[in-house]
Amino acid sequence: MGKTAELLPGTLDMLILKAVSLKPLHGYGVLLRIRQISREALEIPQGSLYPALYRLEHHGLIAAEWGQSENNRRAKFYTLTAAGRRRLRDETAGWNRLASAIAAALGTTSEEV
Amino acid sequence: MFKRFRSFFRVLTRRRDFEDGMSEELRFHIEQWTDDLVRSGMSRGKAARLIRIELGSLDNIKADCRETFGVHLFDELRRQLSYAARLLRKTPGFTATALLTLAVCIGANLTIFAVIDSVLLRPLPFPEPDRLMTIFNTYPKAGVERDGSSLTNYYERRGRIPAFASLAIYRYGSEIVGEPGSTERLQTVRVSPDFFSTLGLGPAIGRTFTDQETTSETDHVAILSDTFWRQRYNADPNVIGRQIRVNSVPRTVIGVLPRAFRFLSSDARVFLPLASRPEDRTPLQRHSGGNVIQMVARLKPGATVAEAQSQIDAQNATLEVDDPQAKMIADAGFRSLVVPLHADHVATIRPTLLLLEAGVLVLLLIGTVNLVNLLLIRTSGRIKELAVRQALGASRGYIVSETVVETTLLTLIGGCLGTAVGAGGIRLLGALGYDRLPLGGQISFDMRLGLVALIAVIVLGIVLAAPIAWFNLRRHLGNALQSESRGGTSGRATQILRHSFIVSQIALAFILLAGAGLLGLSLQRAMAVSPGFQSDHVLTGQILLPWADYSEAGRLKFVESLMVKVGHLPGVLSAGVVNNVPFSGHSGKSAATVMGHVRRPGESPRGHYSYGVAGDYFRAMGFSLRAGRFLTADDSRRSERVCVVDEDFARYYWPHASPIGQRLWDGSEAGKDAEAFTVVGVVGEVKQAGLTEDEAQGAIYYPYAFRIGDSVFVAVRTSVPPESLGLTLQKVVRQIDANIPVNDLRSMETRIADSLVARRSPALLASLFSGIALLLTAVGTYGVLSFTVAQRRREIGLRMALGAEPRHIRRYFVQVSLRLLAGGVLLGLIGAWLTGQAMQAMLFRVPAFNLAVLTGALCTMTLVSLAACLLPSQRAARISPMETLAEE
Repeated sequence: MGKTAELLPGTLDMLILKAVSLKPLHGYGVLLRIRQISREALEIPQGSLYPALYRLEHHGLIAAEWGQSENNRRAKFYTLTAAGRRRLRDETAGWNRLASAIAAALGTTSEEV
Repeated sequence: MFKRFRSFFRVLTRRRDFEDGMSEELRFHIEQWTDDLVRSGMSRGKAARLIRIELGSLDNIKADCRETFGVHLFDELRRQLSYAARLLRKTPGFTATALLTLAVCIGANLTIFAVIDSVLLRPLPFPEPDRLMTIFNTYPKAGVERDGSSLTNYYERRGRIPAFASLAIYRYGSEIVGEPGSTERLQTVRVSPDFFSTLGLGPAIGRTFTDQETTSETDHVAILSDTFWRQRYNADPNVIGRQIRVNSVPRTVIGVLPRAFRFLSSDARVFLPLASRPEDRTPLQRHSGGNVIQMVARLKPGATVAEAQSQIDAQNATLEVDDPQAKMIADAGFRSLVVPLHADHVATIRPTLLLLEAGVLVLLLIGTVNLVNLLLIRTSGRIKELAVRQALGASRGYIVSETVVETTLLTLIGGCLGTAVGAGGIRLLGALGYDRLPLGGQISFDMRLGLVALIAVIVLGIVLAAPIAWFNLRRHLGNALQSESRGGTSGRATQILRHSFIVSQIALAFILLAGAGLLGLSLQRAMAVSPGFQSDHVLTGQILLPWADYSEAGRLKFVESLMVKVGHLPGVLSAGVVNNVPFSGHSGKSAATVMGHVRRPGESPRGHYSYGVAGDYFRAMGFSLRAGRFLTADDSRRSERVCVVDEDFARYYWPHASPIGQRLWDGSEAGKDAEAFTVVGVVGEVKQAGLTEDEAQGAIYYPYAFRIGDSVFVAVRTSVPPESLGLTLQKVVRQIDANIPVNDLRSMETRIADSLVARRSPALLASLFSGIALLLTAVGTYGVLSFTVAQRRREIGLRMALGAEPRHIRRYFVQVSLRLLAGGVLLGLIGAWLTGQAMQAMLFRVPAFNLAVLTGALCTMTLVSLAACLLPSQRAARISPMETLAEE
């Protein structure tokens, strides 16, 4: 396991939406997928995963459905709703703007001022 | 937003599934993770430990999940509810008092509100009911406030008043309906063809009347009410075209009204065309309304009452130009008034109902103040507990919501009990005759009322909680932990608040008591008025003779044989017939012209009560003879034109001459000499419309042959209790004509008592309310004083140890309660004066500020206050100094 980074506040929802957008996942799967797509760099605080999932479901951004897991166990699978897709697009755009702005700000040298 | 609500409620309703799903999901998570860790070479035990550390408490995660759905609020509420219920169970005395107070106050309010709602608030059951108007003629200077409308008015106004979309007339009646042998008398309404279109609600099956069906040759059609159609025709959809006999004339059924059709207070089963002859519609008949025919009109969208009124006024002015009676009509102050139909229909009882509503609201206020006081006392006992809990971290919001939950729980239970009381109250109103009030038949307890009750109860709960919560939070924690503890005395602010509540309670109860006293005294004075005749032992009943079966001669014959048969019945002293007995509720006035009387300039013509009498009417009713002689049975047989007038009439027209031998004409114009009636007797004044009728209008009695109408009242003086002759009387009438029933069979005493219902029931209800108010005030005073005594045990003990005697202690507490009483009564006097002013219109010969009533109220209030403070002060005087000081 490589070096892990602390999650910025407010980014957990975005990551869950992204993870679920690729393929319907159960809670544990979301955890694994985020770890995988962040190349093991992001560690989700275990206690806050489920409250976040429930919050997103309550807000209608993801939908939950009971189904069979890969080892034939009953599990709750989450999928992205239309509203969730819109939200993910907006948040991604917002994040990219913020990230590039911060990168630009931090990359400034004294000559450029 | 809506989606979230839906998901919240889905979770609430499937709470079990939610919890189970959450557990299963977390279990699955842990198992998967464990499997993964074991697969990577960790031992099961170590994996489980690691997971427990990483995941933290499962309960915390679940709580967080619940919170995202808002479910935790619900759990909180449940916890607070069970806490409140436990508290209430722990103090059964307080809970019972509070619930009883709430039940009585809410029940009384629901009852009166049910009446207000169905009579005043609920719109009439027609489309856009606020555009429905009624128009009636009034001649105030002639003493005729209301004279309905005439056929002429209708035909002259129809389509000519631009502010009205349509306009119709109607006339209440009752007819004998059915085949010979199975007839019954039913209420009917005769209506003009545009009646249903004006109301905006026509037959559900069939058609309405046409203009061609308004003559007596062509009006053989009928429209049935839904009730009648279901009862008589078993809801037969093919009823149209069938024959129905009305007054023994066959008519064709052309329509059936929808179930929702209900015209004002009428319980009419059959609707008939209002037929008339062309000569009934001429300008000469314009002022012949006689309050029999009424008009209803619908305003055009956008038109106002004022516009309609000015258009009616303008038309009247143009029409009166060529009226030979124009001068007299103008002198009588003639106008045709446009008034909203609903408001007009309930105008007579509106002030009474509003007064009663004010009364119950005051009662509710007293009850609320009582509860706040009791709750404050109770919360004082928990000051320390609350302070400790706040010190340990209970938030202000939590304390407030706990209070609100507790009081709302109390008011909700009280509301349920109150609903039962209210349902009983509505029954009581029925017994008091409220179903006979305008629109009173619809008074009922329904969903709408239940909803109002629920909202009111929740609001009441919050209102009760407000002062308690404020009091709990305002307190400084440190002080609270020290003061009001066993050794201390009550906080000054608390005491002032409690005492001012008691003062306001006493003031409100005093106002109610004084108001009830005024109404009671007014009722008593009304009952003491002599009706002007001997009302005991007189039985009266109404007989309607249909024109189709009875000509004028037939009517005379009927009356004649009735008099003979009734006169021979055992137990009958004398019997007579009249168009209208006093207190029948249908007394109408008409004009008379006195020979030789010239109206002074500005003197308006007078309307007089005019009757046709047959048989020994005056003796049967027990009228008193002032001069000359009564009309007797002989007068109704002879065709001599004689009449009897009353004292008021004689005094007005012949103040200085003897009325005997004077002559007059029936009607507003002098006729031929031979048509004049000679006065042969003067009788004492008789109250015609009610005991409280103050302005005498004069009465004339003609022989029945000259004033034949379709209805007669028979009056019988009996030597036995009058009601016992009722069946016999009906049998006698059936012997003459098997199809004629006797209606409205009541003794004169009952009629007089019934006429006072508008005074008696408010007086009764007001005394009931003030009785409850007194009880509540007593409970309130008792509660506060007992609490004060209990709190000050140590101080009292100390004072007694220092030499105070029990009577000093007793006197001190009696003084406290007398001070409260004085304050309350002082405020109450001001309130009672204002209330009296507001009630003035409803009072009969009682001034707004009646010393006897106020003294009575003061005495009652003093007695109640003293009684309430007796027990606590006695308890204070018995405190033993040794014990209290040893308690420390």
